[in-house]
Amino acid sequence: MRRVIIVLLPLGVPIQAQAFQLDIGKVKDLVTHAGQLRDVSEKEEVEIGSGISSNLLGAAPLVPDANVQKYVNLIGSWVAQQSERSNLEWHFGVLDTNDVNAFATPGGYVFITKGLLLKMQTEAELAGVLGHEIGHVLKKHHLKAIEKNAQVGLFADALSIAAQSGKNTAAFTKVVGIGTELYARGLDKEDEFEADRIGVVLAARAGYDPYGLPLVLQTLANLNPQDSSLALMFKTHPAPTARLEALGKEMTVLDRYAAQPELATRFVKTLDSKQEIKK
Amino acid sequence: MACAADYGYTLTSTELKDAPFTDAKTLATLPEQTKVEIILRQGAWWQVKKEQTGWVRLLSLRVGEGKAAVGDSGLKSLVNVGLGRGADTGLTIATGVRGLSDADLKNAHPNPRELQKLRNMAVPPAEAQKFASNAKLNAQQINYLPEPAATPAAGSGNPAMFGGGR
Repeated sequence: MRRVIIVLLPLGVPIQAQAFQLDIGKVKDLVTHAGQLRDVSEKEEVEIGSGISSNLLGAAPLVPDANVQKYVNLIGSWVAQQSERSNLEWHFGVLDTNDVNAFATPGGYVFITKGLLLKMQTEAELAGVLGHEIGHVLKKHHLKAIEKNAQVGLFADALSIAAQSGKNTAAFTKVVGIGTELYARGLDKEDEFEADRIGVVLAARAGYDPYGLPLVLQTLANLNPQDSSLALMFKTHPAPTARLEALGKEMTVLDRYAAQPELATRFVKTLDSKQEIKK
Repeated sequence: MACAADYGYTLTSTELKDAPFTDAKTLATLPEQTKVEIILRQGAWWQVKKEQTGWVRLLSLRVGEGKAAVGDSGLKSLVNVGLGRGADTGLTIATGVRGLSDADLKNAHPNPRELQKLRNMAVPPAEAQKFASNAKLNAQQINYLPEPAATPAAGSGNPAMFGGGR
């Protein structure tokens, strides 16, 4: 199907070129002989991810509590170190919103909302949720979805801009905008199931009870789906019960790790000492 | 301690076992949506009571009732909006939660200052390792779980997306 690209591209270029000062030479450079868009470099992936992260932070800022942010970064970094992309520069942030959700953007940015954090009871639950988001980054789920949704010429142009770290151009802004909107629509549900399978394994590799993530899903399954704080997450993810059923079939091989620490005490102590974030 | 809830509901038809093992004797088969009392968690199992006491797999239940009270709902939390934020955010209670609805995401503007703050919060890997070893978390070698056989082939794509290039 992608082979069509090479035919359409010359037709598409004049419009794009006008709108975004497209450098046709660069686009040709980005499209391989097979008609495939070449692989996005790690630098480009990080640039796109940081642009989307900046937008997410425009929708909800960070919780103004350095200790809680550091705690989440320590757990997230440790879990990410158990992955095949441990050398990425990982960033973790708690967003100041009562919405219940978590996000990952390309290149190693992971966000969890205050609303979701306060529904958890143990560090193993946090590790599992961060592991799920890390899984999206490992598999480049969002990057691939952006590529699929942006017109090829536009995406190629944005990539060449990202490669030069020039971010204030129309094409880059447009692609980042498409990327941000993706978070309002959600990924393919198979991507979510895959991230769940990765999340429980990363938590277990990090030495935690791997059932943290399923326990969070059990909590979510019991909340009122009409609750406004759940609207976006329920719209963009398969139902928690469907995720539990999917994991249930695969997770038995991790049972031998189910006695690993949950660290409820460290989790509760860190959050309880911060009464202000509980408002 | 691990279990704050008192009740759970079976997600599907579930075997009640007399011990927390897959090959333990099956005491009964609980139909979908059976309400059970949760006694405790042991590894990948809940000990539950439904006429008789037995064990069901951790993922076979939707944990109910007791747990729902643990977190506030978003609506209940509305009254507290603004208390946890600095005065300089310019938010007021009247504007409600500055949340993450579809519209909020579509209309979001970049916030480079917060992004820089996020970058400054990154911890060195060695510090994270120390934090883990302080809590006796031991790294394990474990393979990723296989893709379920029933999953439709990935990467089917959306050909229509490329139709607009002309």
